[in-house]
Amino acid sequence: MSDRTHRALRPSVWGVIAVAVAVLPVRAADPSFELDVLPILSKAGCNGGGCHGAIAGKGGFRLSLFGYDPPSDYRSIARDARGRRVDLADPGTSLLLTKPTMALAHKGGKRLDVDGDDYRTLAAWIGAGCPGPRADERKLVGIELGPAESVAAPGQTVMLTVTAGFSDGSTRDVTRWARFTSADETVATVDPAGHVGFVGHGAGAVTAWYSSRIAVARVIAPFPHAVSPADYASAPRANLIDDLNLAQLQQLHLKPSPPCDEPTFLRRAFLDTIGRLPNPEEVRGYLADRSPGKKERLVDLLLARPEFIDYWAYKWSDVLLVTGSKLRPEAVNAYAGWIRDRVAENTPWDRFVREIVTARGSSIEHGATNFYAVHQDPETVAENVAQAFLSLSINCAKCHNHPLEKWTNDQYYAFANLFSRVRAKGWGGAVVAGDGKRTLFVETKGELLQPKTGKAQPPAPLDAPPLPMDEPADRRTALARWLTAPDNPSFTRAIVNRVWANFFGLGLVEPVDDLRSTNPASNEPLLAALAAFTIERGYDLKALMRLILLSETYARSSAPLPENIDDRRWFARAYPKRLMAEVLADAIADVTGVGDRYTEVVLDDGSTQPVQGYEEGTRALELRDSTVKSYFLRTFGRNTRAITCECERSSQPSLVQVLHLSNGSTLNDKLASKEGRVTQILATEPPAERLVEDAWLLALSRKPTDSERKPFEEMLAQALPEEKRAVVEDMYWSLLTSREFLFRH
Amino acid sequence: MFEFRVRRPGERALLCGAGPSRRDFLQIGALSAVGLSLPQYVRAATEGKVRPGCEKRSCIMIFNLGGPSNMDLWDMKPDAPAEIRGPFKPIRTKSDAFEVSELLPRHAAVADKFSLVRTCHHDGAAVHDAGWQIMQTGRRFTGGIQTPHAGSVASYLLGRRTDLPSFVVLPQLMGRGGGNLPNGQAGGFLGKAHDPFALMADPSQPDFRVPDLLPPDQISVARLDRRRKMREIVEGAARQFEASEDARLLDDNFHAAYRLITSPQAREAFELSREPQAVRERYGMNRFGQCCLLARRLVEHGVRFVTINTFLTVFDEITWDIHGSKPFTSIEGMKTVVCPMYDQGYSALIEDLHERGLLDDTLVTGLAEFGRTPKVNPAGGRDHWPQCFTCSFAGGGVQGGRVVGASDTIGGFPAERPVKPGEIVATIFHALGLDHETHLPGPAGRPFALTDFGTEPIRELFA
Repeated sequence: MSDRTHRALRPSVWGVIAVAVAVLPVRAADPSFELDVLPILSKAGCNGGGCHGAIAGKGGFRLSLFGYDPPSDYRSIARDARGRRVDLADPGTSLLLTKPTMALAHKGGKRLDVDGDDYRTLAAWIGAGCPGPRADERKLVGIELGPAESVAAPGQTVMLTVTAGFSDGSTRDVTRWARFTSADETVATVDPAGHVGFVGHGAGAVTAWYSSRIAVARVIAPFPHAVSPADYASAPRANLIDDLNLAQLQQLHLKPSPPCDEPTFLRRAFLDTIGRLPNPEEVRGYLADRSPGKKERLVDLLLARPEFIDYWAYKWSDVLLVTGSKLRPEAVNAYAGWIRDRVAENTPWDRFVREIVTARGSSIEHGATNFYAVHQDPETVAENVAQAFLSLSINCAKCHNHPLEKWTNDQYYAFANLFSRVRAKGWGGAVVAGDGKRTLFVETKGELLQPKTGKAQPPAPLDAPPLPMDEPADRRTALARWLTAPDNPSFTRAIVNRVWANFFGLGLVEPVDDLRSTNPASNEPLLAALAAFTIERGYDLKALMRLILLSETYARSSAPLPENIDDRRWFARAYPKRLMAEVLADAIADVTGVGDRYTEVVLDDGSTQPVQGYEEGTRALELRDSTVKSYFLRTFGRNTRAITCECERSSQPSLVQVLHLSNGSTLNDKLASKEGRVTQILATEPPAERLVEDAWLLALSRKPTDSERKPFEEMLAQALPEEKRAVVEDMYWSLLTSREFLFRH
Repeated sequence: MFEFRVRRPGERALLCGAGPSRRDFLQIGALSAVGLSLPQYVRAATEGKVRPGCEKRSCIMIFNLGGPSNMDLWDMKPDAPAEIRGPFKPIRTKSDAFEVSELLPRHAAVADKFSLVRTCHHDGAAVHDAGWQIMQTGRRFTGGIQTPHAGSVASYLLGRRTDLPSFVVLPQLMGRGGGNLPNGQAGGFLGKAHDPFALMADPSQPDFRVPDLLPPDQISVARLDRRRKMREIVEGAARQFEASEDARLLDDNFHAAYRLITSPQAREAFELSREPQAVRERYGMNRFGQCCLLARRLVEHGVRFVTINTFLTVFDEITWDIHGSKPFTSIEGMKTVVCPMYDQGYSALIEDLHERGLLDDTLVTGLAEFGRTPKVNPAGGRDHWPQCFTCSFAGGGVQGGRVVGASDTIGGFPAERPVKPGEIVATIFHALGLDHETHLPGPAGRPFALTDFGTEPIRELFA
């Protein structure tokens, strides 16, 4: 890997020109409103959301949020309030200067120094007659933050530079007016002047913001561990995942943990691929198999299991919002059924997405059309498409330019206008009534008006050229093409990250569905390589899963080494994660031998309605609808499918969950059940040794160690006959509440 | 993650949503080994420091589900025409600033301890669920984003003081309101970890016990102990969890749960039988009254935020929702059933907190989803009216005996000093010592202010 330390500006067109013609003077003859005045106000914090950038402004003075609307700001400053804010004859008495310097009382405090350059610039601008934005003025094209990657140690400082490039080819160092934030303050902090202070170990990023543009630089502080090149040369590697992962670990001085043992691998692969535990026969069989290639055979087996379909259909149903709180039962079944069929056929992901986005027809015969029934207004549909398939959140841009990303309000409405002609006949959306039958079609006319301008934006996918407004063809066709194109920077990364996060418990980008440009991956080259792989395999997700499952990175133990105990997102070891609510419910049912009955759905207001179609013993992963009533699933954080966001699902342990496991009905009733596993086992009157071993195989997919076996065998041996049942139940209880059971590790 | 608040010079940028740094957490984790665990709920170190002197503050939110009628209770208009003023008369109170209805004599006796805000209003739909959501979280839910309940925010920012949960709802979560909207009694985007602990039991019942807090009957103390020991053996060699925060959190919670289950102090908080009968009767031997008493005990034992749902649903229960026609309550039902119960329970709570020296540190706020129509309807009742209604505040630094805002001559709209839901919630945060401009980690990492920009607490209530 080439040394990218302290790299200077990446060669770019305007950078080369700048070198050729020399950097232009810092200021033109008169200060420019857009290029000088506004950046000063942004830097001083005047137009932040807590101050004058608020919707209502402050103290009667309103600026656009972070300066996204220069003409409006010019009016506010130079024209509004009868021009009181600026005094052309005596600039120093302008409110624009007297307030932020506290010459007059200012609730926002002191923002400018009377002796500073910025004050002088503003005064000069006022003195020049408040020149407004000029048509012939050079426009900002972009910014660069350098060095693009810095490697340093805690305690060291690196100075960043922000260079602005303009339409006339000039560049300018705008570092002093840029705002800086660190994406991971446990690695490095950054001060307002762009000094990066390394405070901890790891790989992070710093973002610079200037005039509605964002640039990112990586900051790396290797861990202080004693590692040698041999540690990496000798580490087991199976495929490209391991090569790229080990390369990063080497840069960070983190040592990879050794592979986990076979029982752990078996359990992990079962849970991550098909959402269920291996049964004791499967455990025994795998451990006894000594022939080569058994891991590959296991992986192929899992990818072909029928439970694979349930598990992945369920996960995609979370993303696509299959919920009875928004759809009628028949439509829910159609939607869930369509998803299931696609998973069963292993439909390539790009085709899957295209079919959803361009769906039309009956909501019952073409289940995918329900994507447009869950939300029916173009804005929300647009947001869902961006979130579900690009992992981009454009919501903020609905009202103003997106403060975290580069999306403008114009772009938001251009994107939403792609969906403005989608219409439906039939069921209108009342959740408690109607048959849910709805026919989706596309009009040849109609636009979405942008509230800010009162006009429609030409329909355009994000960052793509607009479509002709009067074109009658279904705009979604063009959208689908753009969305699933291999050169769409977010589409492939988004799905790769979701699949990765499923197997590793943590995405390469976190949160899983937040692929903002200011939220870089923990290992960019790896994510890029996996995206390329996925494209090359035609978006066959099983191919990606196979690559992951067979990698050595996936197979690592979660037990830390001293040289990786502080690894938190670079996969030097596995990260334990509490089982998903549905997987947990099913696992408990499997071990205790008592299934669940799902008979009702719960609407948003808490009222319940009966639901048909779920027989006794239905597994949670077979549920089609997120509103099916289950105290257990609710308590353990199932995704309620109210919005498309992985954040809706929680795998965090809570006190209520623990109380329920300890004292609640789920475990206690199932363990005590006369028809359950405990009864079944005791009926054959097995010896204590067998009792203990079976319990471990069932619940933890392994045999007990001697230090576990002995005390339990003793407790069983010493139990009075009338107590034996209770002791066995308690043994199972202790297994089912252990972290080893509750977590995939 | 980004900090939206304007940074003052020298101030470190705060990481929204990441909570304490990993190093902080490793220290907290070390505490768990000796059972002194306060998991990642402890946020005060990085967000919203508590104002000095407010460290012991708690809140009891009484949510008057149904929507009490202000002109029959707290904002009477005796000079209005008969079809507005209704059948009841105002009476003098211990406060010089306001009178209350003849239906609330005990309120009159403690009127020097509570204050009224008479000009609350919101622009949400005039259905129960919308009002529940708006008044308890300060915001109407839009775009699928569920704002957390004020109690969940307190739980998130302030954490737990003892082994008891930091946010409790009595007697259980709200039920059906007739719409199909979430009611706001949850952690929302803060996550399940900050959902309230709902009692799910009626404390006025003779066999009252807390579900899931105590093991089922067949699990004796001996079995409880055996289970714990067995679990420790199983957990014994678990090296693979050494470096996992979530695993540590789960473990912490098991320790916390065990302590809660077996801690006499924690169990004691819920044991109403420890109260003298006279005290129980002072509050009223009904569900609401006993919830008020239980709330006092919980706050005494360190719970930070208790929400009491005065009623659970407007259907088929006698509530504040006096439409006058079936299945809703009539104005007569309010007079004979609801007001005596409420008057007794509320005044008992205020007096009891005061006598025990707890009132200064306990904010007691009475909220509702809306008020009721100025004009009495043909059925002799009143319908929904979110345009102007009354909320009450007592304790937690609030000065009693005051009125904030004045409604117009018929109680239809605010004439002076309108108050929005965000201000109500900001007032609660202020009483708890929190800076209402703190940010929470919202969904998809978007920073979320506790209240919308420009919202201030109702300062007229405080000193």
